[in-house]
Amino acid sequence: MEVSEPVLLILLSLAEHPRHGYAILQDAERMSDGRVRLSTGTLYGALARLLDEKWIERFKEQDSSRGKQAYRLTAAGRRNLQTEVARMRRLTRVAGLRVARKET
Amino acid sequence: MLAFYRALLHLYPAAYRCEFGGEMMDVLQEVQAEKRKKGALALLFSGAHETGGLVFGAVRERFYKLTGSYDSGIFSLRRRFAMKSEFRFPKSTVGLMVVILAAVLFTIEKAKAVSASIPHANPPVGHIEPSQITVLPSLLITMLSAVVIGVIGWGILYALRRTGVQQLSEMNPAANQRGGE
Repeated sequence: MEVSEPVLLILLSLAEHPRHGYAILQDAERMSDGRVRLSTGTLYGALARLLDEKWIERFKEQDSSRGKQAYRLTAAGRRNLQTEVARMRRLTRVAGLRVARKET
Repeated sequence: MLAFYRALLHLYPAAYRCEFGGEMMDVLQEVQAEKRKKGALALLFSGAHETGGLVFGAVRERFYKLTGSYDSGIFSLRRRFAMKSEFRFPKSTVGLMVVILAAVLFTIEKAKAVSASIPHANPPVGHIEPSQITVLPSLLITMLSAVVIGVIGWGILYALRRTGVQQLSEMNPAANQRGGE
């Protein structure tokens, strides 16, 4: 599964600790400095795909009075996220080198 | 608004609605409560944003149900990391466009009403006495037009300022380079 920016933000949000839907929306907006505002439809579209691919799993929050559904990364999801982050790190390193070379 | 969102959820396939519908309504309720604290405009824009998201999501899920695939370009969530521009469409422009649209629709309706009230055969026009011509209506129309043009001009300038276009044009690369050395 390839990762779009909204999906990456969702995965990063869940990498820290499990979250429910609204908390993911808020965290994605915070991480992107308000640039990415996921709509509820987009969020649940992405969550459904990630559940399908078994990158995340759903469970009932125990400490919530309403028994809200929360999401967390699976081992496969965390591994895939690490791979994606490593890919991006390589890309930004190459980009930095190329830009620096052009400036000198 | 929540009733409207609930109605939009019926656009989704039943299985999807059963699995996520309740949760989505909880999130929409929380988003609405948060935006209400920020004011009517924030609530309005959030409503438009959520409505768009729900409609697009429903179309995507329906497409998936039909084809079994999300890989159709516009519906795809599998695309590689998409670079999103820092540019954000200023909210004021949307308001301005709504005002312009309302003005255009109003003008069309007014023109239709005037057209319907005028008989098709033009009656013969006799000699017009100078006393029959009143300056006031034409003066009012001119002033009103000037105000409307002024407001639209201000709106455009305000929108441009929000996008930062004038800051870009004010940037002097040479000066910036010197500053950096």
